[in-house]
Amino acid sequence: MTLLKVDFNPVSDFTDFVHNPYVNLPLGLDINKAVVYLWLTAAVAMGVTLFIVRRGLKLRPDGKQTAVEVVYDMCENQIARGGLPEEGMRIWFPYVATLFVFIWSMNLIGFIPLPFGERHVDVFGLSVPEFQIYAASANLSVTLALTLVTFFATHIEGIRYNGPVKYFKSWMPSGLPSPRPWGLKSPAVLVLLVLIAVIEVLSQFVRIVSLSFRLFFNMLAGHLVIAVFLGLASLLGTYFILPIGIPMGVALYLLECTLIAGLQAFIFATLSAIYIGGAIHPDH
Amino acid sequence: MALDGNVHDASRALELGLATGLGAIGPGIGVGFIFGKTIEAVGRQPELRGQLQGLMWLGFALTEAIIFYALGMAFVAYAIA
Repeated sequence: MTLLKVDFNPVSDFTDFVHNPYVNLPLGLDINKAVVYLWLTAAVAMGVTLFIVRRGLKLRPDGKQTAVEVVYDMCENQIARGGLPEEGMRIWFPYVATLFVFIWSMNLIGFIPLPFGERHVDVFGLSVPEFQIYAASANLSVTLALTLVTFFATHIEGIRYNGPVKYFKSWMPSGLPSPRPWGLKSPAVLVLLVLIAVIEVLSQFVRIVSLSFRLFFNMLAGHLVIAVFLGLASLLGTYFILPIGIPMGVALYLLECTLIAGLQAFIFATLSAIYIGGAIHPDH
Repeated sequence: MALDGNVHDASRALELGLATGLGAIGPGIGVGFIFGKTIEAVGRQPELRGQLQGLMWLGFALTEAIIFYALGMAFVAYAIA
């Protein structure tokens, strides 16, 4: 009954690593598991693409080249053209395409079991870390950093293309009565205008929360649900749950790998494109 | 009736389950609506399938994110309780 004695806590894999960094650095720049995963993601995303593209593109593409072309085509036509206007494509198409490829790679690497576990097991006298699935995107710091890039890009581009006055005015919905005193019908109009302004300003900041939380909790909840179902026997202390737990865990794992990992990357990149495009052309 | 055992931890566990489960009702209905309406729309105009699918996934992700607000608040309440 060794299985039932395992101290299984699915949450600890996503929280403990912050307190056990591999390298301690000042200013909170510690190198921990999430940072290593991010380096790995960047290396894989750049390496695979560069390897296939630099090999020489052919007029009659083979399988690998077709895959890269499909991804590029989707980035351009589905993600970027859906949100960005023509004059923003030159600068921001590479950004949203990078976001898509990077987040997709990050999510997919999160579903490969890698030896980064907190606990160690003895294999023939060697202390080897446990294999575990962990995604860097199941970490609020990572998704929040990506979201803040989009947030600042949105507002800097909005101010650059429209000027600050026109841009901040464009946050208000069109068709409102004029706020000037001589156009004012009643104090109620002024109160309503102030309320609308407050809501519109808040909605700009809620975008940070919604964009980062969507990716973060999707990946965290996905990993937790897989871990809970696969470890259900250990959590409940009975083997009879195994015939339910293992197939459910495998099914959820396949769902997350095939659908959710790509979908969340697609959504993040699409929303970034829509936000930046909406700031460049506010009346769109 | 007096309660025995670890009432504090039990209430935290109940809170996490209840908040997540109740928060899942609305997004569940919404996601069903989005897929159903997309199927309906594709049935009416099959030539728009590509555009409708893009919109469907966008709407799906926006709706689905609502449960994560409930889950996030549930985790916060679980952590500070």
